[in-house]
Amino acid sequence: MRGTFLWRHRVVLTSGILMLLAMHMLSAGLAPGARAEKPSLALMWILRPFQSMSADLAGDSTGFVHDYFDLVNVRQENLQLKQQVATLEGQRTRLAELEVENRHLSDLLELREVLAMPAVAARVIGADADELSRTLVLSQGSSDGLRRDMAVISTEGVVGKLIAVAPDASRVLLINDHNSGLDAFDQRSRARGIVAGQLNGDLTMKYVDRTEDVKPGDSVVTSGMDGIFPRGLLVGQITRVSQEGPGLFLNIDIRPAAEFRKLEHVLILTQKPPELAPEFKG
Amino acid sequence: MRLVFIYAIATLIALALETTIPHWLPIGMLMPNLVLILAVDLGMKHHGAIGALLAFGMGYAIDSFSGTHLGLNAFMLTLTYLVAYGLSRYLISTSTTIGVILVFVAATVTGLANSIGSAGLEAPGDAFAMLPGLALRAGVSALFTPWVFALTGFSKRAVGLRSRPVRE
Repeated sequence: MRGTFLWRHRVVLTSGILMLLAMHMLSAGLAPGARAEKPSLALMWILRPFQSMSADLAGDSTGFVHDYFDLVNVRQENLQLKQQVATLEGQRTRLAELEVENRHLSDLLELREVLAMPAVAARVIGADADELSRTLVLSQGSSDGLRRDMAVISTEGVVGKLIAVAPDASRVLLINDHNSGLDAFDQRSRARGIVAGQLNGDLTMKYVDRTEDVKPGDSVVTSGMDGIFPRGLLVGQITRVSQEGPGLFLNIDIRPAAEFRKLEHVLILTQKPPELAPEFKG
Repeated sequence: MRLVFIYAIATLIALALETTIPHWLPIGMLMPNLVLILAVDLGMKHHGAIGALLAFGMGYAIDSFSGTHLGLNAFMLTLTYLVAYGLSRYLISTSTTIGVILVFVAATVTGLANSIGSAGLEAPGDAFAMLPGLALRAGVSALFTPWVFALTGFSKRAVGLRSRPVRE
């Protein structure tokens, strides 16, 4: 066996077969949320404790760094007093953190009441490992009633939709991911288009006719016609409108209402918005 | 079996770090591609079908957990493994310097392939516009390479495995 052609070239042959398999997966256009759901969910389940722990550590370390700088200039003091100060500082930081968390959750609760839709609050515990894809990992999953394609929002505006749901964690595709798209309209001019993410993380509004009166500063809100987001949720503000290029449509840049990097808590709408009659969908 | 165990644990830790740190610290592109460093380490030091399978598994893990194109990272990491294997055999060396250079090149090419895969072939300009950022990340990955190699070497010695090239 050891002297045979197959044995001598086993690394190249195995790698070749595996690369062909990978190319087959690529060409079949399998999304990680489709047939690969099981391994993806298993990984999410395995990584959840690490991510949850690091989310806690991140919160604590911010307080620790602030405490350190506060104490750098303090001269010799009584050890007991120092310990008391440190303890009180720690408690204060924790209380401040709890206060912020409490405010976030109260805001989410208020938002849920305004929307009058069943919703689940979740904590952000991780992000995407790939710098070109924009997703977040949440602390809640199917055991809390979450399913794929549910809308995720924050108090500032639309965040994205769920693309993978494990029992205790889930993954959100952010609206600024280049694979994301949602039906929206300019609140002032009522011009409708598709808000889509770009490779560099920017947000644009596509397919808005050049004759439409769209201006920078206008707010863009969801239309409710994609069957995922309810009508009237804030997506962002228009920052630039141009007519460059030969196309039929305007080039519109949008600044998202939600600050994805700073998100700590989000709300997942567990009920789909009411279906619009076909005559209103056009 | 011990080899599979060590690289599986290392991949999980690398994935956990890569998916959490960038969200809490504003380092953006400065997060090294730790899994790719592991694939290069594997290719330079473990010459066998299991190494290729492990590299494919690492890529599949990245694909299934992040990104939106299943198969892209599996392909790129298997290719990276194959190149690292070929180079270390051809040069008869497992020098860290070669590993650093290889990680830089592989991280840049993998990043570019991911960009093109994400932007679609109709917009390659968008992908190439990201090249400076990708090269920066590749540079950071290269800087981390000696430490990752040292850590995997230490882990292998701890469980009684050789940290130099091993043929099945």
